[in-house]
Amino acid sequence: MAKLLEGPAMALFEKWGVKTPYHIVISDVNQLEDLIEANKWMNDRKMVVKAHEALGGRFKLGLVKIDLDKEGVKKAVREIIGREVQGLVISQAIVAEMISHDEEYYIAVQATREGAEILLAKMGGIEVEANWDKIKRTFVEVGEKPTDEQLIKLAEEAGFEGELAGKVAKFAHSFFECYDNEDGQYIEINPLILNPKNNEITALDAVTNLDGDARFRHPDWNFSFASEFGREYTPAEKKVMEIDSKVKGSVKLIEIPGGTTALLPAGGGASVFYSDAVVNLGGTIANYSEYSGDPPSWAVEALTEEVCSLPGVSNIIVGGAIANFTDVKATFAGIISGFRKAKDEGKLDGVKIWVRRGGPNELAGLAAMRELKDEGFDIEVFDRYTPLTDIVDMALGKQESAQ
Amino acid sequence: MSIFADENSSVVVVGGPAGVTAAKRMAEFCHLAGRELYVKAFVFPPDAGKTADLNVGNKIISVPIFKTLKEATDNTDVNTVLVFVAPSRATQAAMDALDNPQIKVISMITEGVPEKDAKLLIKRSKETGKIMNGPSAIGVMSAGKCRIGVVGGEYNNLILSKLYRPGSFGVLTKSGGLSNEIMWIISQFADGITTAIGIGGDAYPCSDFVTYLDMFENDPETKAVVIVGEMGGNLEEDAAEWYAAKKRRIKLIGVIAGFCQEKLPAGMKFGHAGAKEGKHGEGSARGKADALKKAGAIVPETFGGLGPAIKKVYEELKAAGEVEEKPVLTADQLPKLPQKVEHFVEQGEMLVEPLIKSTIADDRGEEPMYGGYPASELIDAGYDIPHVIGLLWTKKLISQKEAEVVRRIIMLSADHGPCVSGAFATIMAACAGIGLSQAVAAGLIMIGPRFGGAVTDAGKYFDHGYKKFNDDIPGFLGWMKKNVGPVPGIGHRVKSVKNPDKRVKSLIAHVKEAGIETPRLDFALRVEEVTTAKKGNLILNVDGCMAAILTDMGFPNASLNGFFILARTIGLIGHWGDQKRNGGRLIRIFNYLVNYAVPGRKKVPPLDK
Repeated sequence: MAKLLEGPAMALFEKWGVKTPYHIVISDVNQLEDLIEANKWMNDRKMVVKAHEALGGRFKLGLVKIDLDKEGVKKAVREIIGREVQGLVISQAIVAEMISHDEEYYIAVQATREGAEILLAKMGGIEVEANWDKIKRTFVEVGEKPTDEQLIKLAEEAGFEGELAGKVAKFAHSFFECYDNEDGQYIEINPLILNPKNNEITALDAVTNLDGDARFRHPDWNFSFASEFGREYTPAEKKVMEIDSKVKGSVKLIEIPGGTTALLPAGGGASVFYSDAVVNLGGTIANYSEYSGDPPSWAVEALTEEVCSLPGVSNIIVGGAIANFTDVKATFAGIISGFRKAKDEGKLDGVKIWVRRGGPNELAGLAAMRELKDEGFDIEVFDRYTPLTDIVDMALGKQESAQ
Repeated sequence: MSIFADENSSVVVVGGPAGVTAAKRMAEFCHLAGRELYVKAFVFPPDAGKTADLNVGNKIISVPIFKTLKEATDNTDVNTVLVFVAPSRATQAAMDALDNPQIKVISMITEGVPEKDAKLLIKRSKETGKIMNGPSAIGVMSAGKCRIGVVGGEYNNLILSKLYRPGSFGVLTKSGGLSNEIMWIISQFADGITTAIGIGGDAYPCSDFVTYLDMFENDPETKAVVIVGEMGGNLEEDAAEWYAAKKRRIKLIGVIAGFCQEKLPAGMKFGHAGAKEGKHGEGSARGKADALKKAGAIVPETFGGLGPAIKKVYEELKAAGEVEEKPVLTADQLPKLPQKVEHFVEQGEMLVEPLIKSTIADDRGEEPMYGGYPASELIDAGYDIPHVIGLLWTKKLISQKEAEVVRRIIMLSADHGPCVSGAFATIMAACAGIGLSQAVAAGLIMIGPRFGGAVTDAGKYFDHGYKKFNDDIPGFLGWMKKNVGPVPGIGHRVKSVKNPDKRVKSLIAHVKEAGIETPRLDFALRVEEVTTAKKGNLILNVDGCMAAILTDMGFPNASLNGFFILARTIGLIGHWGDQKRNGGRLIRIFNYLVNYAVPGRKKVPPLDK
């Protein structure tokens, strides 16, 4: 799942005929005057300014300013851009026309295993969240399109009448085209309104999640995806993502501040069991990581360096199941180089390393890891005969180390 | 028994080098299980018409590569497709397989397939009633019968995990790495697996647990099934519902990953695309574990509890007489995987008579070593090309003084204009459109007794003369006349005492100035005194001068022509490039440059019978 910020999301909407308010994304305050001059609507309409970043709760953080004239916009943009919030310096703001309206509606398309559901309600904003059961749904099988009758029926069921029902159905059709053609996973407009100025159904705010794996067939996706957990990605996370996008196999890192057990496990499946094992014993994880698909050793080395740089860590878990085709010796060579660098930089002082792994070249890989002991590393190395997550039990002191 | 991947499986791999690597793993399995190779074809358009070689034991089997799946099914009996291509092509490959009547089973390892594509494949596989496993599925392992994909890892793991014969447990996982781990656990805590299937960790795996559970239920040899699930989706809930629906023959053991999600930031991405949904409600690890427990499955609290849970089920099955102990074989009792010669050499278990011997250079490390010195360290220390020549030609690190002489010799001999045999040959070749290496070789071929090739011989005889006739120049000349002929290194076509060769003079002056000991050069100069007295052009020429000095510096006789060849190569490359740049036209010499000393026209007589 890959989330879009409002700017690129609205551009995709427009591409498929989904109406949005006038809007621009600003990243340079010095261009404000020019932009206002160039955009007529900015001179005679009320506007809203929002921080254009992947931040949750922008309204509460004071990063949304409403009901502004152009002077107010200038002031708001200057206030918002460059502000530091939750360790992130805001670099962009979106300015949009503020459209007064009487009624708010809700529409979404949600992917399901068989196809998609179109969700529609004749209420919007927080009202719809409180009345989830009032939402009407219709199913569209994968590879199919909704029929006009189907959409009119949906609109009427949701309480739209007459001409408005037709307008809403037509809008739903464009909205579905956008979802379907742009490899959507979940797109939602809340609120959806009837613009009194031009009598058109218009999207005021949107949640847009696309399938990042489909990027290869969308040459016009010129945007990068936003973080999905209410904060921007950290520099280390961005660095690892950048590597991940370039290599065969994968390397992943998400930082979790405050944790004391760092994870450097192999495999998308095993890594979650390692996280579970730590949490289950009352421990706290400093990150979620994994490497898999036989990534090159330099990529694993880079991931290792980032994991070793996590603050306040007392244990590093280098766990993994018995690999099918990931070469244990080669990937461990990357981890070992990363460890050596980290140790030279003093990052492993007071940190204990726990290793368990199997797979191609496991004997050579584990032997190389064991040799780190002679270099003064605090490291315990186990092979396939030690069950997968036992090293977590040992690390957190719930089981005596066998060695 | 086993389910859907068995002794009847006949596999076509759609994919290039990665697919061949997977096929090699499958061939290893054939060797272990004593099966004939069941990989019967590849589909890979760039190599269509060729074959890929697979080893079963020490037998090499050439497997045909086709352009399309249809060609593969028309020409072989394949019924199972392994998709091993990039996401942009994988969906079409799987669609082709679903639409091909000869294909019954598809397994796709490709990661990063768009969800919409996966959903279209789900729809088509339902319509066709075929098994569509994947995307991002590690494959299918039926112990002792069939392996589709790389699942099971390397040969030794197949043995350790008892995959050479069926056990009593089925395995269903999303994760590839864990399917291997579970097979290993089951081999330790019980009697091994019947079939293990990795369905892939995507949001919409094309197959589901229930389909396979039904198959396991109908396979009498499978007594219990281990499901490894994770948060996201509802395949585990569906499995629980299936298990609860009626009394099932198989025992069900389940373990679910993702409890940590309760304590982590919302929206966090885990390793699998499918592992992403709700915290507490539908799709959560707890919801899935509770559903399985409620349905009567055995659900250990943690992954660590899985081994003991499997052992308990196995012991119960044994006590109930449902399973009998199965043989456990060691590597000694099973076919050995033939190793490459390199392996035994590395282990010190095999002596190989070397084909060649090298005493000057070693390429086995991070960088080439010249006579033991790493090339980059020589560069960093300020050494130059003449030192490398010294190391590679005489195995000596020559002095800076000597290096300077070598440098000058190469500069002096680098070219001698377009008219000499070597350059002319290169130019002719260049003008005939011949490539660089061949054109330069054409020039080098000219180097011999009459052109540039006298250095070695000159060195040889000046050395002989210096050793045997140092104080007897006439004796040397007499010996040469009797045994060899003209003295190589003496004489020039245009240069003479009155018109001396500047190159020779400057080289001699430098050597003397540098204070290098040159007994052979001194001897050659005394020879020159005598020969020029007889005839003005019998001077010490540049070949002879080089030869004497280089021999004095300890370069072995056989290497001396090398200096001329090396130096002149610089010029020949220049001439080739010069012609290319100028667009030199094909050279054909004019009739008037040929003396046609041929007989007059004759009548052709009838062929002698």
